[in-house]
Amino acid sequence: MSVFEGLRFRRVSSPIHKLDPRVKFVYVCTAFVVAVMFNELIPLLILFFIQIPFILTARVQREWIRSMKGASLLALIIFVTNLVSRYLYTGHVWSVPLVEYSLGMTFRFIVLVESFSIFFLTTSPDHLSLALEQSHVPYELCFAFTTAVRFVPVLAEEAQTIMDAQRARGLELDRGNFIKRVKNYIPILIPLIVNSIRRSLQLAEAMESRAWGASKKRTNLYILKLRGGDFGIILFSLLTLSIAIYAKRYILIPSIFAFLPI
Amino acid sequence: MAIIETKNLTYTYPGGTTPSISDISLTIKKGEFITLTGPSGCGKTTLCRCFNGLIPHFYSGKLEGDLVVKDLRVIDHSISNLARHVGLVFQNPENQLFALSVEKDVAFGLENVGMPREEIRKRVDWALQMTGIENLRERAPHELSGGQQQRVAIASVLAMQPDVMVLDEPTSFLDPLGAEKIFDVINELNKKLDITVILVEHRLDLASKYTDHVIVMDKGKVLFDGGPREIFASEEVRMTGVGIPKAVMLYQALKDEGIHLKEVPITSKEATQLIREIIIHDRS
Repeated sequence: MSVFEGLRFRRVSSPIHKLDPRVKFVYVCTAFVVAVMFNELIPLLILFFIQIPFILTARVQREWIRSMKGASLLALIIFVTNLVSRYLYTGHVWSVPLVEYSLGMTFRFIVLVESFSIFFLTTSPDHLSLALEQSHVPYELCFAFTTAVRFVPVLAEEAQTIMDAQRARGLELDRGNFIKRVKNYIPILIPLIVNSIRRSLQLAEAMESRAWGASKKRTNLYILKLRGGDFGIILFSLLTLSIAIYAKRYILIPSIFAFLPI
Repeated sequence: MAIIETKNLTYTYPGGTTPSISDISLTIKKGEFITLTGPSGCGKTTLCRCFNGLIPHFYSGKLEGDLVVKDLRVIDHSISNLARHVGLVFQNPENQLFALSVEKDVAFGLENVGMPREEIRKRVDWALQMTGIENLRERAPHELSGGQQQRVAIASVLAMQPDVMVLDEPTSFLDPLGAEKIFDVINELNKKLDITVILVEHRLDLASKYTDHVIVMDKGKVLFDGGPREIFASEEVRMTGVGIPKAVMLYQALKDEGIHLKEVPITSKEATQLIREIIIHDRS
C-alpha cells in the first residue's frame, strides 16, 4: 500500500525531526481539529499550504509526494461520492457551490493525510516510544512497540527466505483464483509463525540476561526536553487554532469563486 | 580465586527423561580464558544457561548439585541480580538486540538496573570504544552486518561491567574474518580488564591461541579439563570429534612419522617455530 509507504520513517537530521514528538502530536491534533471545523474550501486550502514549509524544512518531500499519490485514489473517491450524493440531495442541479463543497471535503481528507504523514515521516519510532514512556505509558507497552518496529525488517527478510525455500520445493504462489491464492500462503505462514515463536523465546532469554525488570524505577539514556523550536510549534498551533475559531464565529467565509475570474 | 564453582551439577529440562548435564564439577578462576567445547548436543549451552540463572529460574526443570558464581548461590538469586555479574552473549546476534539504535541497545541493561543517566552515558561510550564500534552508535541493528551486530551484543553485555562473560558460540553466524575480529575483542577484554571469559566454540583453530583452560564435554559430562596443549594432544579428545587446531593435527602427523616436536603447537606460527628448530638441529 503506497499510502503507508509515505508513513515510513527515514533517518534525516532536520529542525523538524529534532522537535519533541509530543509537540508534533499536539500540532497534528490541531490540524485535525481545524480541518474538521470547516467545510469551506478556502480555509482548508490555507491549511494545506501552511504545512508545505514544514515538509520542505524536513526534506521529506519525496516521501510525502509518494504518500500523497497513494492517497490520491481515495481522494478521488471522496470527491466523486460527495459530488454525486450532493447532486442527488440538492435536487439534480449542477452548480458551482456543489463542486466547491466536494473539493472542500476532498481537501479536508488531504490535509489530514498531510499532517499525519508529516508526523510519521519526521518522528523516529525510538522517539515515539520515548514520548509514550514519558507520558507514563507502562514501559512494557513501549518496549513491545519498539521491538515490533525493530523486527519488521527481520520478519520481512525471513518471509522472503521462506517463500524462496517453498518455491524451490515447487510451491506456486501466484496460481489460481483469489481463494486459492490465499490458501497458497499457508505453507509460508506456518514456518513464519513457528520461527517467530522460537525467536520470541530467544529474545526473552536475552532480555532476562540483561537484567530485565531488575529495578522498579527504570532509567533512560535519553530524555525529551522542550526547546525553543518546540515552543514555537506550540505557539503556532495555538495561533492557528484561535484564528480558526475566530474565523468560524465572526467571519463569513467567501466562496473561492469570488476571487476567480469566471 | 575461584569465581565459578560447580559441584555435581545435574540438570534435567522440564519434560526431559535424561539429564542434559550430569555430575559436573568445575572450578573456574578469576581472569581465566576458558574454551568450552564438545560435539553438538553435549550440554554446553545448558551449562552456560546455568551460569547466569536462566536455569533454573527461566527454564524451571530439575537442578541438583551446587553452583556458586561470585559467592552467590545461583539457586537463591534472581536472573536480574546475577546478570550484573555474568553477561551472556548468544549465538544469533539478531535475536539479542531489541532497540532501534546501537547506543540504546548498549544502554538497555543499565537502564533496567536503574542507573543514573550520566553514568549510563559514560558506560555506553566506554563499551562502544572497547569494542571498536563508536562509529555505529546511531545505526539501527538491521543495518549492520552479522559481525557488527555481534560486537554490539558484546558491548551491551560489557556495559554492565560483569565479572564473567559467557559467549555461546558467538561466531557461528559469522565469516572467518568477522570471527577473528570477535575473538580479538574478547581477548582484549580478558587481558586488559581481567574479565573471566567462558567461550563456547567449535572453531578451535581460531579460538585456542587465546585460551589458557580448555573444557571438553560429551553427553552431558565433562570429559577433559585442563591446559590446551595437553588436551589437544590427547588421543581420546580427538576421538570425541572435537575440531582440534590444525597445528595440533600437524604435530600428530609428524609424530606418527617419527618426528617429535618439542612441544604441542597451537597456532601455525608456533608450529613453524618448532619445525624450524628441528631443521636447524638436524643440520648442525
